[in-house]
Amino acid sequence: MNTQDQEQGCAGCKAKVTPKWRQDFPIEWEGDHYVTRREMVKFLTLGSLLLASANWATVVASRLLHRGSHVERNIGSASSLEQRGSSMLFRYPTEADPCIAVRTPEGKLVAYSQVCTHLSCAVVYDKAENGLFCPCHHGLFNLAGQPIAGPPTRPLPQVQLEQRGDQLFAVGMEVL
Amino acid sequence: MSLRRQGTTLFSAILAFVGAAVVLQLWLLTVSMEALLSGAYKTLIPAAAGSSILLLINACLLRYVFRFDRDAQRG
Repeated sequence: MNTQDQEQGCAGCKAKVTPKWRQDFPIEWEGDHYVTRREMVKFLTLGSLLLASANWATVVASRLLHRGSHVERNIGSASSLEQRGSSMLFRYPTEADPCIAVRTPEGKLVAYSQVCTHLSCAVVYDKAENGLFCPCHHGLFNLAGQPIAGPPTRPLPQVQLEQRGDQLFAVGMEVL
Repeated sequence: MSLRRQGTTLFSAILAFVGAAVVLQLWLLTVSMEALLSGAYKTLIPAAAGSSILLLINACLLRYVFRFDRDAQRG
């Protein structure tokens, strides 16, 4: 028997000891767990990076959206709101954003977004309830913009007003 | 216990921690999206900062995993 035959014989012996599936998939569980867990940590850290980036993207998006809410806009004459308990509709900060200004029974002038924080119906001034009423689902906000009845849970965004002479200007909007 | 076997145990623990951190980040993102759509912008920066801190922790753990792996390959 030459050296080559001996080697083949040895290989044959090894083949008898090692099962066929082991030859086809020569992976040890320990090594497999080690690699898959290491790779999973890498994959999850990449996911973590994407999630953190998405979070900062919301900050950037808010800055872009918020920019429009600091414009000044003439919303009409103050004389149209002289009477206590009167209200006036206007648009702020863009033509697509309906708002409502109310002269309260105490004589204070307040303005809010007209979009209900529940499902975006338009709220109207209700003299009897002395608040802003949403006719869709019977939500009610007081004249401080806080929800006091019905399904809404978040306050109405408040519009900041300034009176210059007889003219009223909307100068900003803030979420309470 | 071999270094590789130690690594498997260690990586399992790190994986559990990183997984929990990613779930937290996902929750922070949903909170941010809700705040963005409702106009409550004050919430956004703290949420993004929290998410970044979790990312930093995850990155440090990943660096540790790489270092450990390099040592295991040498040894």
